[in-house]
Parts: sequence; structure tokens; C-alpha cells
Amino acid sequence: MSGLLSPHEKEPPRHGLLLLQLLILGVFCVFTLRFWYLQVHEGQEFARKAKANQLRREHVYAPRGLIRARGGELLATNEPAYALGLVREDCHDVEATLDAVSRWTGLDRAKLAEVYRKGRGKVKPFEPLILSQDLGFKEVAEVEAHKLRWPGLEILVRSRRNYSYGDLFCHVLGYVAEANESELDNDDGLSLGDNVGKLGLEKVLETRLRGIKGVREFEVDVTGRRMAEVNTLPPNAGEDVTLAIDLKLQSLVHEAMAGKEGVVVVMDADSGQVLALLSAPTFDANHFAGGISSEEWRKLSDDPQHPLLNRVTQSAYPPGSVFKLVMAGCGLKEDMLNPSETVFCPGSLSLGSHVFRCWRRGGHGNVNLRRALVESCDVYFYRLGMKLGVDRISAFSFACGFGKPTGIDLPHEKGGNIPTREWKLKTFGERWQKGEDLNFAIGQGYTLVTPLQVARYIAALINGGKLLKPQLLASAEPEVQTQIPLNAHERELIKDAMVRTVEDPSGTCWRARTPGAVVGAKTGTAQVARLTDELKALKDEDIPYKLRDHAWMAGFGEKDGRRYAVVVMVEHGLHGSSGAGPVVKACMDYLFPQTPKGAGK
Amino acid sequence: MDRKFLLSINWPLVGVTAVLFFLGVLNLYSASGFRMEEGLNVDPYFRKQLIWGLMGLPCMAVFMLVDYRHLKTAAWPLFWLTVVMLVAVFFFGKTIYGARRWIDLGFMHFQPSEMAKISVLILGARLLSRDTGKLDFLQLGGIFGVCCLPVILVIKQPDLGSGLSVFLILGGMILYRGLTSRVLRTLIVAVPATLPLAWFALHDYQKRRIVSFLNPESDPKGAGYHKLQSEIAVGSGELWGKGFLGGTQSHYRFLPEKHTDFALAVFSEEWGFVGSMVLLSLFCAFLYQIALVARDAKDLFGSYLAAGVFFYFFWQILINMGMVLGLMPVVGIPLPFLSYGGSATLVNFCLVGLVLNVSMRRFLFKKV
Repeated sequence: MSGLLSPHEKEPPRHGLLLLQLLILGVFCVFTLRFWYLQVHEGQEFARKAKANQLRREHVYAPRGLIRARGGELLATNEPAYALGLVREDCHDVEATLDAVSRWTGLDRAKLAEVYRKGRGKVKPFEPLILSQDLGFKEVAEVEAHKLRWPGLEILVRSRRNYSYGDLFCHVLGYVAEANESELDNDDGLSLGDNVGKLGLEKVLETRLRGIKGVREFEVDVTGRRMAEVNTLPPNAGEDVTLAIDLKLQSLVHEAMAGKEGVVVVMDADSGQVLALLSAPTFDANHFAGGISSEEWRKLSDDPQHPLLNRVTQSAYPPGSVFKLVMAGCGLKEDMLNPSETVFCPGSLSLGSHVFRCWRRGGHGNVNLRRALVESCDVYFYRLGMKLGVDRISAFSFACGFGKPTGIDLPHEKGGNIPTREWKLKTFGERWQKGEDLNFAIGQGYTLVTPLQVARYIAALINGGKLLKPQLLASAEPEVQTQIPLNAHERELIKDAMVRTVEDPSGTCWRARTPGAVVGAKTGTAQVARLTDELKALKDEDIPYKLRDHAWMAGFGEKDGRRYAVVVMVEHGLHGSSGAGPVVKACMDYLFPQTPKGAGK
Repeated sequence: MDRKFLLSINWPLVGVTAVLFFLGVLNLYSASGFRMEEGLNVDPYFRKQLIWGLMGLPCMAVFMLVDYRHLKTAAWPLFWLTVVMLVAVFFFGKTIYGARRWIDLGFMHFQPSEMAKISVLILGARLLSRDTGKLDFLQLGGIFGVCCLPVILVIKQPDLGSGLSVFLILGGMILYRGLTSRVLRTLIVAVPATLPLAWFALHDYQKRRIVSFLNPESDPKGAGYHKLQSEIAVGSGELWGKGFLGGTQSHYRFLPEKHTDFALAVFSEEWGFVGSMVLLSLFCAFLYQIALVARDAKDLFGSYLAAGVFFYFFWQILINMGMVLGLMPVVGIPLPFLSYGGSATLVNFCLVGLVLNVSMRRFLFKKV
């Protein structure tokens, strides 16, 4: 190149040089101010944020208390469940990740997207958003194998409730499932994704079973990787509980009720401990533990037999003739009944224009109290009802614990209904009719009782009049709620009549006879619908199922100082004797086993 | 001769460069450190960076010793070679994080986009120094037209950061030369008007970043996350800093890219306002030394080369610091000497060598 350069060419542009210097000055000034602002002016605030950034609290789950049956058999345990979580912050491509997850696990892609969309608002970006609560081993292996290529996916090991006898205890134990919005709001101890007892004892004993979560504080990096543990508060495991329920008896009752709808209560008459409690039909509580699928749910809730309904607490039934045990007590207490006095039963009783029939068309002839109970004569009790009147009957019923919940440790217990004049006026705007006393007297009409109430009353008849709270826990002390207003002699009269009902060939409860034990019982048949004459003429098995009467049998058994009340109620079971009798008998056989021949004198 | 040679070296610039580089390595030691329960694990980044530095020295020497005026002849060939390389990347490039930017040379991943910066710089210096006086439309259009080719190729890689830097370096050099007031006025009107057009050429994630910069709180855990975390890191250093290796933000990896684009945040967190000011002053001194070389260059080509190098560093410092301090959107532009990067370190050394080259030869044709 030529060295002859024109002189001005050697001069770099002057304004250009000035520009360079101004740029340097500008950068210096602007960044100095910014450093000052961030580090000095706002420094403390940012330092605080930095601290908050790196400290993360994590709950350490307390294992939920175990639940055992009376004999120590485990009914509810915890087992590891593998949940699939997605940490949004680490995930490069959510859509593709969800596609992959759907491929591996076979979960519906649209559903995953839905879960993700819902979870976004609730879960912090650095915390795992649970895509699936419950993965099988195959899926876990699949995810683990691909995890490295799909950052953000995490397998979380969580505890899942497992019910060893899911269908035997579903209504007693209820189940555990993920807490919903309102539960989260009302309970500080719960955080999103936690499980909580939804029904049954799991719900009632929630605080005892849950224990107290521990807390771990970590320093973490941005991926949530744990660096150093700062401090730890260990969890307190939930309390283990043992039920009063006898596993063998419960499964026996379950078998006896197979295919039937109804309730069975077996209660220790001295302590109130419930040895068996069944609402049939049942469902498998394990379906709910891992989150139930909507099909599964639909299947259960659309089942015409309503397995999800807990009949123990949620259903109250007309007691039918079982109520005659209460009527007898009421008559004796009010001194309006002389046990040896007889009443003539011609098979019906007329009141005004209305004819009230006895179930035995031909009539019972002359009956005293015992015979009226043994043979369940309606006319005898019609007359007694007329004498007593609604006010006395309802007052006595209330005093024996009817018309209100028994207080058993189960949620949402119903108390049934004992009608009164006021109630009738309030409910129907009509006054009480004399004729209604007669219906009341034989357990028809407005009266609704629960098998638990009946069991409690039966227990009171044989334990010295103590009305006990039915106890589901083995550790529970007997709790006397009140004393029924009957003295020993009066109780003995009713008890004796019940024993006769079993022992006498003409009694309705001959099925419940148990050699070696004193067994007493009373049947009941509760009308579900007023049958037209046309239907009445049909054979039992031809009556449409839903119109058939409910069958009751309420009884007790005593042997060697052990006393139990057993109540069986079979919906649409037609007759107490045939519908409920065999179940009572099965209970008695288990409670009072016969010494095999040749064994011990 | 030796003494004369040694004397002719611009020692202040060498000194500032050396200090910056070693601060960078020191900072990398901390930034790539990873605190685990068993103590600090250090990724080998700082060691690699040192090696890059050592590899950079001979490159620097070459750029320093070969008379820079030869570059005038080499300008066009270099430029076309770069274009070929950029096209080659599309076919043989190695894809990392969804962008094809690298050519695998076996011993390193070479980024042609780095080469584009240098060759455009040299070509620009040649074209601009042909003439004096302010640029009119025709000259401006010609220069930009030529340089558009590599820029578009780079942005499509996609590497928005590098693409913009090539443009900015050239733009800086043009400003250094000066524009006629008419051109200037037109540009002030026209450039904002064409921005929407450029918008459509961007990739989605690039758009997202710009949107989130304009409204970072809208998505604190999304694209605005980087900015927030970076501000927290810098701010929490307060006046004196948390001390060497004491940066929690960086060690706990709340900071993304802490050894590359956000290396400054680590530095500021650990050394506080005081340290940050020292670093800022060093960068300004560094730039000032280059500006002096541009002033004292013995010919216009050298002056423009120095100015080009000035802008090469200036924009990176401005954009990276602005990004780390939350004043600018997050674009992947490294901070010279502080950010880890093989190609970038080599290029930095080469360009400093080029400035030293211009600086050394300012005496050769001294005017009397």
C-alpha cells in the first residue's frame, strides 16, 4: 500500500473519538447508579429474598395410625404408593413430557393435561405437581428408565392406606383420600395433596390417626436439589387403634348377609362394645385409597343396592313388631298393663269406620302380655296403644334412646323419628288422630328407628337398664348414657317373653335357638308399602322386590355371664323369622360355641 | 530492537486485560463451584478457562505481530470464508439446545458466528476507511447490504445475540465515522418503524424473552425468572459482598447460566458494591485504552479497527451488564473475560492483540 497518505486522512474522526469517551462515561454512570440501587439502596431487601429463596420447608409425613380388629388382626395399614410428580421449573417442554408420560403409563393424555392445568395454580413451580397418585411397578420402572432424558419428572414415594379387609369394614372404617378444598381451608394441619379420612372412623379419629407432620428445612438449589439440612422436626406417628369388632364375627355376618341389603349389629350388652357392625351390601374401600376412577365411582353409585350407603348410620326403618318390646315397657312403666290380664284377639279391631287387622286373620284368642309378645299379636298392642296414647309412648321411646342418634363414633348418624303431636302438626299441619296411636303401637306409621337404637335398648333390657353408647374402640370405657325407666321386674317380664319367643314352638324366633345359651328375640315385619289386595294375594316370592316388607330380628344371648344384643334388619326380607333369623342364629352360634361332644365335662 | 519492541507494547492495555481475565477465572472458580453437603465441588470450568487463555496467548501474539495492514487485503476473502462457514453450519453443524451454532473441529466446538464478528469488523474497517467525511445513503446502504448476509445467517441459527452484535459493531463503527444529518434524521424515524417487521423474523422464545422483559412480574417463574434471580443475586451482595465462594444464589443454582451469561451476578454477589465498582472501573479503563489506540492510530484503517474492537467489547459489556442488572432483556450475550467460553475467549484475545498491533505501529509513520 502506498505510504503517501493525505494529511487529513490520518486524522480519525474527532466527533467519533468524543463519542467513544461519552459512551464510556455513560456506561460508567448508568451502571454505577444501578449497582448502587441494587446493592446498597435495596440490598437488605434482596438479601432477605435470597434467604427465602434457598430455604425450603418440607413436611415429613407421619405414618398414619394402624387399625386393628379386636384380636389384633391388622385392618388398615400403610403401604408405599408411587406417585408421579412433575417439577415445572425443571421441565423443558411440558407438552412433550405429558405426551411421554401418557405413552409410558397409559394414562389419558387429555386427563393429564387437565390435571396439569388445575395443579398449576396450586403448586409452586419448584414443587412436584402430582400427575398420577398411583403408579404400578411397571410404570415406575418405565418412568425411571426415561427420567434422565425428561428432566422434571419425579417419582415420589408416598404412603397409601391399605385395607386388608376392604369390603368387611368399609362402612365402619370409611376410607382415606385426598383432601378437598374445604377440608384444606378448615384444617391448618393439611396441605395440598394430603390424605384425610373421608368417612367412618378414618374421619372421626382423623386427629388421632394422623399424627403430627414433621418439618424439614433444607437449603436447596434451584432444581430443588437438597444441599444441606438446616433443621428437622421429626414427625409424630399417628396413634394405632384397636376396634372392638371381632374380625371372625364380622366376616361371618358379612357372609350371612351376602346378596342382602340391611344392617347387622352385635353389641356387648355390658360394655357397649360393638363386636360386629355391618351395612350390606359393601364395597371395597381400597378403591378409594388411590383415588377412584369415575367409572368405578359411577358403578358404585348407580348400583341399585346402594353399597355406598352406610345403612348403619344413614338409614332409619319402621320397626314393625320389634317396637312391641318398647310398647310393653311403656305399658308396664305407666302401670296400664297387667301382665297376667288377657285381651281377646278376634283377628281385627274396629275403630270408628276403620278396621285394624291382626296379622293372624283367625285371631289369637285370649292373650296375655307374654303370649302377645311371643306370637306378636297386633290386637293386644292396638288396645295398649289406645290406652297409652301418643304422648306416653313417645315420651317413653325418647327415654329409651329412640328418636335421637346413639352417639356411636361414626359421622352423620341419623336419629330416626318418634312422632309426637307437635311433630305431626309441624310436619303435616294436621292434628294427631286417635287411629294413629294404633299404628304407632305396632311400629308402623311415622316411627323410624335404627338397628343401633334397637340393639342399645335390647342391651339395656338385659344389663340392668343401662343405655350404653355403642363403642367401636376396644379401649373405650363403657359409657352409660342414661337408665331406662324400667325396674328389674319389668325388664325381666319382657326378657322372659323374648326367651319364650325363641323357646316356644309357637314363637316366631325358634330359628335363633342356641343350645347352652339363654337366647331371647323378637321379630318384626315392617311394611314398606301398603300392598293392594291384589299383591297381598301373591306368594311372597312374586311380590316385586322393592315392595316387600323389611324383616327384623332383635335378640340377645346370655351364657356364663356374657351378654350380647344382636339386631339384624334385612331390607325387603319379607319376614323377620326367615329373612333375618338365620343371620341372628349364625351370630349366636359364633358367640356361644357348643362344646363338641366328648370334649371336656 | 527488543527493548524498543517491548516499549512499543501498550502495557496499560495488557495489564487491564490480564487483571480482567484473572478476575474472571477466579470468579469462575466460585461460579462453577457447587455446594453439596460434603463441601464444595468445583466444575473444571475455571481450569478450562485458564487453558483457553493460554491458547489465546499465541493467537494474540499472531494478531499483534503480523502487520495489521495486511488485513486490508485479507478483508474480503475472510468475509466470504465466514459466509461459507455459516452456511456449512446449517448442514454439518452440531445442534446444542436446539440451535445449530457449532462446527465440531474435534478439539473444540468452533462457532462461526464469532468469526462473523471479526470478519465483518475487518471488512467494515476497510470499507469505512476508504474515504473520509460523513456517510451518505449510498455508502451506508452499500456497507449494510454487504454485511446483512452473515447477520441473517447467524440470526437464523438461531443466535439472536450474536446476530445483533455483528450489526451493532458495524453500526458503532459507522457512528464513529459519522453520518450526514439527513441520514441520521431518516434513521431515527425509519429504524423504529422497521422493528415490527423484525419481530416476525424472531423465534418464539426470543419474542417471549422480550415480552417478559417489558413486564417481568407477569411471569416471575417463567422468562422473567432470570432477571429477578439475577437482581436478587446482585442485590444481596450489598456493600461488601458475601465473600469469595460465599454466594448462595449462585451456589444454589438459582441463577441460570451463572458461569456464562450471568457470571457478573456471581461476582457482584460475592464482592458487593465495592467489588462491582472495581470491576466496572476496570472495564471502563479497558475501553478507554482501546479508545486511545483508536485516537493515536497512524492511519484510518487502524483507527477503525480499534474502534471496531472498542464497539465489539462495548456492546457486550453494555448488554451483558444491563441484562444482569435487570435493565435489558435476557439475550445470551457473554461478558468479556468474565463469562466462560472457549471461542469467545480466543476471539477476545485475538482482538486485544489486534488493538495492540495498531497501537504498536502508531510510531512507524509518526508525523513530525
